[in-house]
Amino acid sequence: MSSPAVTYFEDVEVGSRHETPAMTVTQAHVNMYAGVTGDHAPEAGLAPPLFALCLSTGLGWRIARPPLVVIAFMGIDWKIERPLRVGDTVRSRSQTMVKRSMREAGVVVEEHQIVDQGGDVLQHGRFTFLVAKKEALT
Amino acid sequence: MRLARPQFQMTGPPRRYFEEIEVGETYESPGRTVTETDIVLFAGVSGDYNVIHTDAEFMKTSIFGERIAHGLLGLSIQSGLLTRWMTPYASLGVAGLRWKFKNPIKIGDTIRVRAEVTGKKETSADQGVVTLARTVVNQRDEVVQEGETDVIVERRRE
Repeated sequence: MSSPAVTYFEDVEVGSRHETPAMTVTQAHVNMYAGVTGDHAPEAGLAPPLFALCLSTGLGWRIARPPLVVIAFMGIDWKIERPLRVGDTVRSRSQTMVKRSMREAGVVVEEHQIVDQGGDVLQHGRFTFLVAKKEALT
Repeated sequence: MRLARPQFQMTGPPRRYFEEIEVGETYESPGRTVTETDIVLFAGVSGDYNVIHTDAEFMKTSIFGERIAHGLLGLSIQSGLLTRWMTPYASLGVAGLRWKFKNPIKIGDTIRVRAEVTGKKETSADQGVVTLARTVVNQRDEVVQEGETDVIVERRRE
């Protein structure tokens, strides 16, 4: 039985960029998100700011590429520049900025942007992940 | 005939303006038990179906031994928990956050958030930014997440 393809720390390339397909944010998304989390929009017609951040990882899974073998999501440094409105169509862009080898795994830092239909960056910042090494498994 | 004076005034819920918020104020939220359902629904809403959150068999072999909640689910839940318990700010949104995921949130864990106002800055004639340091703890009082959020708050109009 073959395992699905994944990306270990050794194969992460600094500088590689990805852009996801876009998704139109509807009132249904906002309602479901608010219902699950209890986090609400500051006013009608807007999405809760953290919802856009949550989409950044979800949209990333729609790119056909072997996913990183993430051991732990370590942190986020995030800026919110413009509100996300119901009806906006957003995509996520990411770029690998840094990789740093540790003893049994490695740290990978990615820059992420949430971009709307007009090309404006609504939110952006850095995600830090702890990623598994191939050699640690053997 | 004399009309009775209205006994109440129609106003919105109380909201606190930038000027009314003091550095050093602290808040603590109620607890919330994170369930399997929360994780399944969050995977659906966010689109994040990472095996860490969705594959129970695979996760038996991991260092966690079971599925864990999305870090961003924990971040979103603490945001909701805190606003449920405090008099809301006259908030226009969030300007940014710096956040660390320290420990996993597992199915059945009960989390709450403690927060303290650590900074205030006027950014324009009609708004300012209030910085909140937040600590999310589980039922054993272990820190699962912590960080700072910059909240944009309206200034009181003279």
